[in-house]
Amino acid sequence: MGLKQYIADIVEAVVTTAKGMKITARYGVDAGEEVTQQYPEVRREPSERFRGFLHNDIKVCTSCTMCVKVCPVDCISLEAVRGADKKMVLASYDINIGRCMYCGLCVEICPAKSLKHTRGYEKASVDRGELILHFVHEDASEIKARVAKQVAEAAAKAAEAAKAAEAAKAAAPAPNPAAGNPAPKEDPEKKG
Amino acid sequence: MESFVHSLVKAVPVLSGVPMWTLTLTAMILSAAVLLVFALTFGGVGSYVLRKVAGDIQARIGPNRVGPNGILQFLADGVKLVLKEDIIPAKADRFLFALAPYFVFVGSFAAFVVLPFGVGLIASDLNIGVYYVMAVTSLVVVGVLLAGWASNNKWALLGGMRAAAQIVSYEIPVGMALMPAVLIAGSLSLQDIVRSQGGLLGVFGWNLFHNPFTFFSFFLYFTAAQAETNQTPFDLPEAESELVSGYNVEYSGIRFGFFFLAEFGDMFVVAALATACFLGGWHIPFLHAEALPAFWGNLLSLGAFLAKAFALVLVMMWIRWTLPRLRVDQLMRMAWKYLVPLTFVNLLGVSLWLLIFKGKGIPQMIASLFG
Repeated sequence: MGLKQYIADIVEAVVTTAKGMKITARYGVDAGEEVTQQYPEVRREPSERFRGFLHNDIKVCTSCTMCVKVCPVDCISLEAVRGADKKMVLASYDINIGRCMYCGLCVEICPAKSLKHTRGYEKASVDRGELILHFVHEDASEIKARVAKQVAEAAAKAAEAAKAAEAAKAAAPAPNPAAGNPAPKEDPEKKG
Repeated sequence: MESFVHSLVKAVPVLSGVPMWTLTLTAMILSAAVLLVFALTFGGVGSYVLRKVAGDIQARIGPNRVGPNGILQFLADGVKLVLKEDIIPAKADRFLFALAPYFVFVGSFAAFVVLPFGVGLIASDLNIGVYYVMAVTSLVVVGVLLAGWASNNKWALLGGMRAAAQIVSYEIPVGMALMPAVLIAGSLSLQDIVRSQGGLLGVFGWNLFHNPFTFFSFFLYFTAAQAETNQTPFDLPEAESELVSGYNVEYSGIRFGFFFLAEFGDMFVVAALATACFLGGWHIPFLHAEALPAFWGNLLSLGAFLAKAFALVLVMMWIRWTLPRLRVDQLMRMAWKYLVPLTFVNLLGVSLWLLIFKGKGIPQMIASLFG
């Protein structure tokens, strides 16, 4: 390292430092626009295709269990029973948003288009159980019992009507929990 | 201190019955308390200003939640630090771990003793002032090394070792860069150094403009002192991206608070020393502070000193948010290959200047030309 290089190094250090300080001084005096958003007061509008919390419109839902099957992290659990009119009746539909990774596969696959991403993203809770969203607000066993009763009544009516013609169909209500339901007993967060 | 007590006794005759040593002791404790309160306040407000400056420079906002414009943030931080649990790691050397923060804090706080805040505002005008500051701030090395060692943590130890290497290296350029001021004043006492920069020349009496060598000396001192106090372009001992938080990584609560306060104390000491040695200390441009009545003289000179020192602190913060951190080898190269030779050349230059021109600076020569 020659003396020339040595002095050039010093000059370079001084010049570049001065240059940097000039830039920071310009920002320090007047930064132009502040980038920071004051979050609780100023909320950023999420984009059109923002994948927020899931919402299931249970009036449209057909209990097909596709969402349950496709979910890579098994955060959706669903119970349904076959009703009197041969349609499935949802007994419970829970989404554990603490586990959800917002991949959007369930929304994509939903045939009835009942499952949607909302714009919501604010959720904090003390208890992990609060992170499970319940979309069917009645108690599952009550619904099951009611549906079973309806099925039994319908079956009895049908049996009565067709008593003369042919033998009654099996009156067993057979509450049929949906297949593919992730084993609820293994999930500690469920019903927390 | 004793002269102050003597004048106090003279002014208030009632006190003449009280033994001298009690008065002196009370005066000592009082001045220590005043300085401590100043150091604490500076640490608090300084941290707020530091974060606000950082926010401005980075086009952010900075603290703005606690109090108007976030001005009470430092109180909230202080309360948090005091209330936090004081954790000592299980495998740490408990005694040394507990001792280290006090070494660091004492090392930086003890330097306040000789800082000339005003015409008569100095805790103790030691005749070896500059030397005393250099010596006592070296205690910081011991504290930092102890903290790194006692934490029993590899990052803390690395940080401590780096700090030791860095502070010891940069002690030399710092001392050599302060030497020109000492040469010009012919005294190590900081009050004498400040007095030597007075005169009716106003700004041009300052050592900064005495001759070209002292001008460079100021910048060399400022750079080296930044490194000596581990300020950001040279904050290798606590390089967050490599060492988590360096030597203080295992500290929490009030013990961490001491490290934090020491850092800001160091910052002020560096700025105050630069002010005293190069920027005319408490001299007010175009005003003769010593000729004023004692109260006004002290008040105005205190204001002038603090204004200069705080301006330098602001510059340190500015540098802090401008430059990226150096690598260890770059840091060492800068100390030994650049700063040490340059400060020695500077010292030689100043000595020759004083010898050739009989102690006169350029402004004085120009002034004498015009009578």
